Amino acid sequence: MSKTEARKLRPELYPKLRDLTFGFVRDLEKCMQCGKCVGACPAAALTTYNPRRMIHNIKAGNLEEVIESEELWSCFFCSTCYASCPRDINFPFTVAMLRYASIYAGYGVEYVKKIIPYAQDYYRRGLTVLQPEKNPLVIGRRRANSGTSGQMADIREQMGMPRERKISAEALAEVQFISDVSGMTKLMKDMLKRRDAGPKSRDRIEKVETVKSREGKFAGFPKEQENA
Amino acid sequence: MPRPEVMERIPVDDEYFLFRSCVASSKYPGMESATKEVFERIGVGLTESDDQTCCAGFITFTSVAEVTATMPAVARNLSIPDAAGLNTITMCNGCYTFLTEFGHFLQQNPPILGKVNEMLGMVGREYTGESQVLHMIDVLPKLKDRIAEQVVKPLKGLRLATHYGCHYLYGFKKDAIDDPFMPTVVEELIEVAGATPVDYPEARTCCGSGLTQVVIHKEELALPHMKKKFDSLKEAEVDGIIVVCPYCLTILDRGQAKMVDRGITDYDVPVLYVTQLLGLAMGIDPVRLGFGANVTSAKRLLEKVEKLGGANA
Repeated sequence: MSKTEARKLRPELYPKLRDLTFGFVRDLEKCMQCGKCVGACPAAALTTYNPRRMIHNIKAGNLEEVIESEELWSCFFCSTCYASCPRDINFPFTVAMLRYASIYAGYGVEYVKKIIPYAQDYYRRGLTVLQPEKNPLVIGRRRANSGTSGQMADIREQMGMPRERKISAEALAEVQFISDVSGMTKLMKDMLKRRDAGPKSRDRIEKVETVKSREGKFAGFPKEQENA
Repeated sequence: MPRPEVMERIPVDDEYFLFRSCVASSKYPGMESATKEVFERIGVGLTESDDQTCCAGFITFTSVAEVTATMPAVARNLSIPDAAGLNTITMCNGCYTFLTEFGHFLQQNPPILGKVNEMLGMVGREYTGESQVLHMIDVLPKLKDRIAEQVVKPLKGLRLATHYGCHYLYGFKKDAIDDPFMPTVVEELIEVAGATPVDYPEARTCCGSGLTQVVIHKEELALPHMKKKFDSLKEAEVDGIIVVCPYCLTILDRGQAKMVDRGITDYDVPVLYVTQLLGLAMGIDPVRLGFGANVTSAKRLLEKVEKLGGANA
């Protein structure tokens, strides 16, 4: 049976997900529930996380159960499940996209609220991970190992590198433009709002369809995308 | 064993675009300087650009920046080597995964590619996908002979373990340079450097971090998992661990310090990026290789290397 034929058997399986996940959730119909993923999974060894059961639930139409679950946030993204999958289902990708579905549906922000500043750094500085280090134990050990102050700028200088990695002003403007017109900036603001409203907030986040920007109009992405 | 059919596909160029990693630049800059030193010695040029930003993979996979925003960011970053007519070397498994997966996705979905290029067009850029995205350990095995020629200080007697990280071999089980469960490509580079590769039972175990150990996962879960890996490493009596990804470097390096601070273990095994290892064997100044940025101490390893003296081949 070809992929397309298999999909026709369950016409309700993908359309619901497709809008939310941009066509990245796919191939789940190929799962034969063998459980190799669970056996290989480090998260499954430590928690009740169970990729096989999650796929079963999605195929059975219990999408809400997966999206609401705490388990969805247990994946380490190590891809061992994909490496061992005899049907080549890239489940970590699926998890990543299901998490977005979860956030848009009003869940999940409590798990990622501490990561939002990284997105803000990306927006403001073009880098997700920045040089400043808060942990005194890290600074102390670096001081001992390098013989400098332990601050990254000094270590870089000692190595003969510029004190800071430069991102050009043009690059920053472009990144911010892309963020604004593609909906990232809005998602960031909505998530901050939800974070500040506390864990009980279940406000759904509206997806951005069309955005006007300072520099021009961007008509938005095609709403529905056939799986490749 | 590196897969012959993949090895064949890897282009050997005189010049590559070096895709900087934000974890490397901001936390372990030695990766960058060691890579540049090593490539200079083997006569391969590296072009960098201040226009290149973070790949945005971290924020995408941690669910705080939608794919609609980060896909154009991927295309934007790749438009730089595209315009320069260079293939891209990534130093990080995350950058590799993200650029490759999203690059493929765009190539396979012309309507989305059209939209992305419409957006890039507004800032005067275009993504063609001509620049091939390569991982550092795709390219190094192809240059093995040239590396061997530059080894002036074979690291005889040094016992080194490997940690390949998840997002390259596991995530690309068909396209990666080596088998996901039995890789040897870094072991071969360790041998080129004159050291001894050491196997250990938990070699293919992930570090337990995922992308989000410190944020989403609880320490009570992640640290015991990490301890299992380090117990196995300790038993193998290694002088260091060789990694191919800055995030692995971060987690394995800082994880050990964390376990020491929590009173769980007293491990202090230095973690080195693969080009830092090659740099040592090429006799490059350890300060320039950037071990001072590590939280674990490379002192014992460097003393051993020092005792070897120069040009003992």
